[in-house]
Amino acid sequence: MNGLETSLKDVRQRFATSIERAQDERGLEAARVAYLGRSGEVTNVRRQIGALPPAERPDAGRVINEAVAAMETMLDDAAAAQRNRALESQLEESIDVTFPAIRPAEGSISPLRRVVEDVCAYFRSHGFAIVTGPEVEPDYYNFDALNIPPDHPAREGFDSFWLTDSLLLRPHTSPVQVRTMQQHRPPIAIIAPGRCYRRDAVDARHLFQFHQIEGLMVGEGVHFGHLKGMLEAMCRELFGPAQNVRFRPSFFPFTEPSAEVDTTCPRCGGHAQTCGMCGGSGWIELGGCGMVHPSVLRYVNYDPETYTGWAFGFGVERLALARYEIDDIRRFVNSDPAFLAALQ
Amino acid sequence: MRVPIGWLREFVDLPDDAGSIADRLASLGFPVAEIERRPDITGVAVGKVLDIAKHPNADRLQVAHIDAGDDEPLTIATAATNVAAGQTIAVARIGARLPQLTIAPRTMRGIASQGMMISAEELALPAEWFEDGILQLDPETPAGADAVALFGLNDPVFDVEITTNRVDAMSILGIARELAASYRCPLRVPELLEAGDARANGDPSIAVALASTGCTRFVVQQFGELHAGVAPAWMRVRLALAGQRPIDNVVDVSNYVMLETGQPLHFYDAGRIAGSTLTVRDAHKDETIVTLDDVERRLAPSTLVVADQQRALGIAGVMGGRDSEVSSSTSSVVLEAATFEGSRVRRAAKALGLRTEAAARHEKTLPPRLADFGAARAAWLLVQMGATASQPRAYGEALEEPSPIALRTRDVKRLLGLEVPAQRIAGQLESLGCRVAQSGDTFDVTPPWWRRDLVIAADLIEEVARMEGYDRIDAAVPSVAPHAISSDSFDRERHAANALAALDYREIVTYSLRPSKELERVRRAGFSFADAAVEVRNPLSEDQRFLRTSLADGFVSYCAQIDRPVRVFEIGDTFRRDDDGAIDERSGAIVGFAAESLDEPAWRDTHFLRLKGDCERLLERLTGRACAAERASAPGLHPGKTAALMIDGTRVATFGCIDPRLAAAFDVRLPLYFAIVALDRLPAYAVKRYQPASKFPGTSRDLALTLDTSVDADAVQRTIVEAIGAACSSAEAFDEYRGPQIPADKKSLAVRVALRLDDATITDAQADEAIERAREALATKLGATLRT
Repeated sequence: MNGLETSLKDVRQRFATSIERAQDERGLEAARVAYLGRSGEVTNVRRQIGALPPAERPDAGRVINEAVAAMETMLDDAAAAQRNRALESQLEESIDVTFPAIRPAEGSISPLRRVVEDVCAYFRSHGFAIVTGPEVEPDYYNFDALNIPPDHPAREGFDSFWLTDSLLLRPHTSPVQVRTMQQHRPPIAIIAPGRCYRRDAVDARHLFQFHQIEGLMVGEGVHFGHLKGMLEAMCRELFGPAQNVRFRPSFFPFTEPSAEVDTTCPRCGGHAQTCGMCGGSGWIELGGCGMVHPSVLRYVNYDPETYTGWAFGFGVERLALARYEIDDIRRFVNSDPAFLAALQ
Repeated sequence: MRVPIGWLREFVDLPDDAGSIADRLASLGFPVAEIERRPDITGVAVGKVLDIAKHPNADRLQVAHIDAGDDEPLTIATAATNVAAGQTIAVARIGARLPQLTIAPRTMRGIASQGMMISAEELALPAEWFEDGILQLDPETPAGADAVALFGLNDPVFDVEITTNRVDAMSILGIARELAASYRCPLRVPELLEAGDARANGDPSIAVALASTGCTRFVVQQFGELHAGVAPAWMRVRLALAGQRPIDNVVDVSNYVMLETGQPLHFYDAGRIAGSTLTVRDAHKDETIVTLDDVERRLAPSTLVVADQQRALGIAGVMGGRDSEVSSSTSSVVLEAATFEGSRVRRAAKALGLRTEAAARHEKTLPPRLADFGAARAAWLLVQMGATASQPRAYGEALEEPSPIALRTRDVKRLLGLEVPAQRIAGQLESLGCRVAQSGDTFDVTPPWWRRDLVIAADLIEEVARMEGYDRIDAAVPSVAPHAISSDSFDRERHAANALAALDYREIVTYSLRPSKELERVRRAGFSFADAAVEVRNPLSEDQRFLRTSLADGFVSYCAQIDRPVRVFEIGDTFRRDDDGAIDERSGAIVGFAAESLDEPAWRDTHFLRLKGDCERLLERLTGRACAAERASAPGLHPGKTAALMIDGTRVATFGCIDPRLAAAFDVRLPLYFAIVALDRLPAYAVKRYQPASKFPGTSRDLALTLDTSVDADAVQRTIVEAIGAACSSAEAFDEYRGPQIPADKKSLAVRVALRLDDATITDAQADEAIERAREALATKLGATLRT
């Protein structure tokens, strides 16, 4: 028994030393295997029990078990300490969080589409549908049905590209209004974005191809105040909450009364005398609008005594120029990669 | 239109501040594009030259005594040579401020000069439009009068934009009417010499025959004892401020009346009219005329002319002819104040490229009564200038009262959403010259004769809104009732664009109208689709003659121009003339990239596979369905590197590497890969249903096959799946090799086969057996051997 206790004490001392020396979890595991493992040092000591007289054997077993329990506790404590040290050293790590990010490759939609989507999203939330239509249209949809009969001087205002005697590239998106009204009965609430064409010489403010976004609402009790309300909110949606909107009388054959819509110049906020965007007027022109002319309603067999409606048509490029403070409309068709990336 | 404020003030009392007048005009629908500020001139008076003599000490100077309304005449030296005793001129007193200088006392060669005689240029008027030297004023202007105030020289000039419906406002008087109505102040109508006036005598010696329906009214009047010369200074200054060059008294009167009243006039030299009748008729075939600008012009038969018994004297409403032009030897003139059919004038002016000020007004069809008004105004001015006048004689339709328009007062609110009391509505309309008669809740509104644009009730409601101010209408948000209008086509484009952006492509916009040169290059490269291109009849230039037949046109030329790797897409319509000649317009997308070429053997193309992956991802995202690729051909794409993507048997996309012939035609340096996606042919989105995966683990085996180069990976994969059946969850080629280690017409293909059972863990024996079945099928169907 004494011999066993002596060797047990020796084992425990050596175990304590090897734990202390262990650098990491792997060292601890090696110590566990060497001392507490199946063929470890403690097992060797346990074998000595068989040599003891039977009366001493239970005590010897108890002493060994106590020693094992104590050694296991030491091991656990050491492991815990080890883990704490590891955590602490992990927590001490520090990096330069200001280092440039690694970004996923991503493309972009065009700034024109973004404007269209934002306008559409706003109107959609109010129950409007978004409708598209062909770019090659008969004069009927472009003019006649919009109260611009043949020989009407207003036709010259739409300096159009003609393909045949009666087919042309639409100079505005308004044919979509007519098509929609032909296919549906009121109530109508649509937005029609799309590409249009006019014979304009290309410069910093003009392209012969451009995009319009058109709105039309027809129903009972629809009035000019609604048009104002929707367009004012739309401008604030696009340009910011401080945006003012101004309606000035104007003339279009397909609306009566008609108006031009201006909004506060987003660059100077209406304050600069020498603003390159608004020319110092404080306002930028968005486009035309008005109450749908009774003749236009009659063309699609809507009774103007029952139904009223409003419509507007804005230039998408113009909205985008103002919104992104772009200096030259040709940038949209040049589509230079650096330009597109800058607006992403 | 240039509108000098000083001229406006003759008809209406206006606030001092030009900015506030401009704002008012804008709120009435007449935006002021520019306020041209005049230099601030002071101290210029009207002076009478009492005497003038050579300067005693200077050869080039003269010294004059000038009565400028003071007790003592002013002594002024001048170098000008057009000054004579008895003249009325403008003088700047000591202290006067002129645009370039301030007048100070100075001694000129020993004589103290007490001011300066003034030329037009020193009053900031265009010097080349006025006499050399000192500006000659009208004898009746009193000495000492303030010349600046007299001529409105300090008043700014507006550049007013006038909408095409408001021909009545293409005149100083028209703008003044609008302001008078808006400010609710009286309008002073210009002085007239109307029919029946005692100052006019006899009938004109020239009669008028209206031989065309293109002229509805023609007022003729004759003036004699006209002393040819310059017009009065006040008229010349006004014309100059309005941007019209003064010519002589007759031409100036016609321009003055046109600018003031809106009625263009024309004067004929009575002595140069053959016969005694002016005829308005259609031009004869091949008829020519030399117009006032000395250009001989051939007239289309639809052109309306005013002719004597021999020839056309003028193009009606556009420009007069040289043959009957008033000259310094003219003693009697015949005035034409006419109303022509606007569309005829417009067509004639357009065909001749002569959009004169007269045509700009006539082409909108003037109200007939304006002809009488314009003639009466001209008559008053000419008689003031010393001419004798005949009575005017009018030909054509009788003047009709405008028809009344019924306006229900409640419709004002219905259309505007603005409550305007009935009496206020009547007041607004009356201020604009309408006559308003009430019957119940309806007004019968008779517009004034000059407002022919007022036809329906909505026109009157706009007038009410203009007078109230659009800013008085409260903004409101409408509630939209449910409707069945679909947003599908827009959404398809929107989803495609956003999916492509997420796949690292940038959206570009290119021109739908393509240059002739580009089409020609495509055609020369051997592509017949160029023949289907739709041509524009009236392009601005050859650079925009044809509509794009394919989105590839813009994409390829864009990539050629950028000339470095890019990943882009475009969504838009394309146009082709089909066999019946009809125009087929389709909406689609192109997606593609320019990339540096990879060092790869000819049988491998990684760029192609990357594009294929992007297309598959795009289509899956847009349709929720799987698509299958098959070999295909398409014009513009490489015959051996093109595939179609099919969904349920419909070809929805075609993609591949650019055809080298097309690349050469566009001078493209980098390899291009692109896909054309038929957005309008995509099936509706199919929502996926969840199917749980087998709970039992599967296994996979890699097969190395040797087979003919002509056998596609797809055939191998399908053969394996079919041979193994349900236990094969996928068979996918992942590597290909050709080269020295295998025969020249063979390739080696590595395929990973995934095996799995639904109801049990697959055993090695089962897997071996499945692979063996695949091997047999590959051998018999495709001649493939398994390498080990």
